[in-house]
Amino acid sequence: MTNAIEIRGLNKSFGTKKAVQNLDLDVPEGSLYGFIGPNGAGKSTTIRMIMSIIFPDSGDLRVLGKSSAVESKDRIGYLPEERGIYKKMKVGAFLKYIARLKGLDAAEAEKRTKEWLVRVGLADTYRKKCEELSKGMQQKVQFISAVIHEPELLILDEVFTGLDPVNRRLMRELISEQNDAGRTIIFSTHAMIEAEQLCDHLFMINKGVKVIDLPMDEIWRRYDPKTVVVEPLDAADVGRAWASLPGVKEMIETDGVIDLRLHDNADTSELMRAAANTAKLRRLELKRASLEDIFIDIAGGSAEELRQELRPAAATELEEVRRG
Amino acid sequence: MGKVFIIAWKEFLATVATKAFILGLLLPPFFMTIAMVAMPLLMNKKSPTVYGHIAVIDKSGMVAPRIEEAFSLEKQQERRDQKAKEVKEVIDKGMQSVGVTGKTAEQMKQQMDASPAMAAQKMLAETRLTVEVLPPDTSVDEAKQAILKATGREQATDGNAARLALLVIPAETVKSTEIEDGRPVFKPYQLLTAPRLDIEVQKDIRGQANRAIVDSRLTDAGEDIAKIRGLMAAPTAEEKSVTATGETKINDVAKLLVPGAFMFLLWISVFSAGQYLLTSTIEEKSSRVMEVILSAVSPLQLMLGKIIGKGAVGLLILALFSGAGIAALIFFAMAELIAWQNLVLLFVYFMIAYVTVACLMASIGAAVNDITEAQSLMTPVMIILVIPMMLWMPIMRNPNSMFAQVCSFMPMINPFIMILRLAGSEPVPVWQIPASIAVGLLTVVFMCWASAKIFRIGVLMYGKPPNFTTLVRWVRMA
Repeated sequence: MTNAIEIRGLNKSFGTKKAVQNLDLDVPEGSLYGFIGPNGAGKSTTIRMIMSIIFPDSGDLRVLGKSSAVESKDRIGYLPEERGIYKKMKVGAFLKYIARLKGLDAAEAEKRTKEWLVRVGLADTYRKKCEELSKGMQQKVQFISAVIHEPELLILDEVFTGLDPVNRRLMRELISEQNDAGRTIIFSTHAMIEAEQLCDHLFMINKGVKVIDLPMDEIWRRYDPKTVVVEPLDAADVGRAWASLPGVKEMIETDGVIDLRLHDNADTSELMRAAANTAKLRRLELKRASLEDIFIDIAGGSAEELRQELRPAAATELEEVRRG
Repeated sequence: MGKVFIIAWKEFLATVATKAFILGLLLPPFFMTIAMVAMPLLMNKKSPTVYGHIAVIDKSGMVAPRIEEAFSLEKQQERRDQKAKEVKEVIDKGMQSVGVTGKTAEQMKQQMDASPAMAAQKMLAETRLTVEVLPPDTSVDEAKQAILKATGREQATDGNAARLALLVIPAETVKSTEIEDGRPVFKPYQLLTAPRLDIEVQKDIRGQANRAIVDSRLTDAGEDIAKIRGLMAAPTAEEKSVTATGETKINDVAKLLVPGAFMFLLWISVFSAGQYLLTSTIEEKSSRVMEVILSAVSPLQLMLGKIIGKGAVGLLILALFSGAGIAALIFFAMAELIAWQNLVLLFVYFMIAYVTVACLMASIGAAVNDITEAQSLMTPVMIILVIPMMLWMPIMRNPNSMFAQVCSFMPMINPFIMILRLAGSEPVPVWQIPASIAVGLLTVVFMCWASAKIFRIGVLMYGKPPNFTTLVRWVRMA
């Protein structure tokens, strides 16, 4: 399988700040890559370098087999984090303009603009000025502007920001649809639930350094918390009995919900059967890590460091404010 | 290249297909037409006739009969005709001074007869004044009561002519009783008028009273009135300038106006287009649409497309205004004031001036975050570009002075200066035309090179507003 994107040893600094350090990345064709990381981790910088909007200090970068995205701009769809529209332009005119810049002829641009507006439920906005749309509607228009030329590679930066649950779902469906049509998609997001549900491969950077680059099933395997969650109808019936079941390392009870932490080599199905046999249960499940947990686990450390760094300075400042 | 033209076309439409632009272009000619058509029509409305009496208390016994004569119906009519003739002469003279002569002038005069001159005649209120001589011992206080509320329009409303004015002429106004420095000294007379009396009528009464008093003095001194008036008439001069083709009437105003108009046209079109480019670039940046566009085209393509698109707007403005100007000159039979090769040069210098300014505007627009930040960067640019405006008069007076020649080779302002000199009356040394174009083209090449670099870096740079030092660093950096 060929790679849509290949990055080797990519570096970029802004002044003294190292935005991206020694980054390697392969995005196979047809895959759906989630790109996560805390604010300021270097996501947008990486994406901008992939798009050849800014240029790396060092390192190799191949996009769709070319050494620069400039050479294949018409085959890439890009929704930047900082996205805008021409306020005074009509929605239809704006989309047609973008489509023509992406290499479509006038007739095709018009046809697809109308089709897409119908698909996202904005058919009546064709003749409206962009500034008359709500933020969510504008975002849909911007999404259309990224996909209207049916690109092979779709790069979406912060695509779920500012959308309500209904539109998040719509956006998720649109992205899946694009992926089903065989397009390679990379999207960066802070919305962990969407990332969990959508992507088949996860890529996380923190402070400009890659920290995760794994397929989703591998992530679930590696970040398996090895915990069985049991909620008996009456916790009093159980007492501490389950703590001695085979494979259980630790038993923690909170408000009637019992977490059974297991040893690495424990037989989970055997244990679950044993639990079900000994008490009436409301719930019995194998706990799975959420992306949010993983994210906070990795990025949280840096947040803690940040607090540590800031604390003495903040304390001094606070003291000064109090003294007047 | 196709994308560049898609951008250019969009930029052109974005400016031209707006109500503001269309109104801005069409309104001035529209108002001018209104002014030319409607004004004479409005002026053609005749002022209502002024009826009334002028009361005279004449203590000298010599002035009153003369005033009575001056305000006979025939004399009043005569004065009105004379005045209309004078107005017409002033208009004719004005037209000659801007160079309208010959056949066109004749046609225009015919039109004028139907319009301003006639209008002027009609504008002068027709008067039906009568003189009422009161006994010399009448009380002034009593006599003036009657004029308090008079306006001169009473005849039309209730049929009674009111007393509009009161002249009180002491004997000493005509006969001097004292001599100072060898000249006789006269006492002033009183002219009391109704407060709302037509100002032209007031002037007429004053004028006729003065004349009657002076005539009385002359008669009293035993002089011949007609002789003295003849001797005192103001002399007239016939002015002509000497040229190779013979004596022609002076065309001063036109000589000064045409080069100025050429430069102003160039300036306006270059600046409007530059301004449009600046605001549209800033808009793209501040609305963050820039990155969307840059995912489809390169910064250079975008800049090029924008410069071409707004340049077309500038050319449209230039073509419309110069077209209107040329049409007007042809209409007034003054087309000889334009040298046709200058129109070609106007186009060439427009391109040079526009691209130079456009590069500056694109750089500034790309570098700043919003319009307020642009102001500080615009100030030095504006200062440089206002220079040609200030040099208009000195260069006009002496188009081949050393100063004018030096300015013709200064980057940025040289297209304006050259247009000014070329349209002027003295021929510019031929070699200076290609030389100044060369200077202009070098400026253009440099500006394009520098602004391409600034634009590429600036478009995605947000945050601290840059100053000129930053811009220079960006040029060096890339």
